[in-house]
Amino acid sequence: METNKKMCLALFTGSVDKLTAAGVILSGAAADDMNVDIYVLLQGARAFRKDIADDASKLNMSENPEMKDEFMESLKKLNVKTWLEFFSEAKSLTNVKVHICGLAGKVWGADKLEQFVDIADDIVGIGEYITAAQEADVNLFI
Amino acid sequence: MTTNELQAIEVNKSVDARGTSCPGPLLAAKKAMGEINSGDVLEVLSSDEGTKKDIPKWATKKGHEYLGTVEESGFFKIYVKKG
Repeated sequence: METNKKMCLALFTGSVDKLTAAGVILSGAAADDMNVDIYVLLQGARAFRKDIADDASKLNMSENPEMKDEFMESLKKLNVKTWLEFFSEAKSLTNVKVHICGLAGKVWGADKLEQFVDIADDIVGIGEYITAAQEADVNLFI
Repeated sequence: MTTNELQAIEVNKSVDARGTSCPGPLLAAKKAMGEINSGDVLEVLSSDEGTKKDIPKWATKKGHEYLGTVEESGFFKIYVKKG
C-alpha cells in the first residue's frame, strides 16, 4: 500500500456550486486517506463565516445563477450533502486542515478564528500556502 | 468470483448506500472498512452507477481485494475483502 499523498487546495470561491464540487473532491481525498491542506482565499472566507456558511440563501452560484433554486432542489432530491457537511465529514475521516487567509478574513469583517465555522483550524499568511503547494502531490485552485 | 460464488459468500458487514449519490457509497465503504478486520468481507449495496467502477478501483488501490459485483433489480452489490 502506498503512503498517503498530499493535496493542496486553494479555495477562492464562495459560490455554493463550486463549494459543493470542492466537497465532493474532498470526499474522494478522504476515501483515499490523503492529507489535505485547504487555503481559504478571498471570496471563500465569506462563505466560511459562521453566520453565512450554513445558509445557502446567502451564497450565490458561479454559473447559471438564475437556476440556483432548481440546483439546490435537485441536490436535496438526490440526497447530496451540503458543502459544509462534505467538508466536515472529510475532516472526520482524514487529515484535513482548513486555513483561512488573514487578508480574506479582514475583507469580510472577520479577523478572529471564532468568527468562522468550527472546521476552520487557523488564520494564516500566504507563505504557508506556497510551502504547502510546493510539497503537495495534487494542487487545485477552485 | 462467479455470481453464484458471491451469493454464497459469508459477509462480515453489509452497508446499504442505496439512495445516496456519489460520493456517498464510496464514503460508506471507506467507513465500514474501518470497522472490520483483515480478511473480512464487506458488502456494499448501491444504486449509483459510478460506484461500480469507483469502489473496485479504490479497494484495489487501498490494498483490499475486489471480489466482484452482483446485479440486482435497480441496484447492485459489491464485494470487497479487506487487505
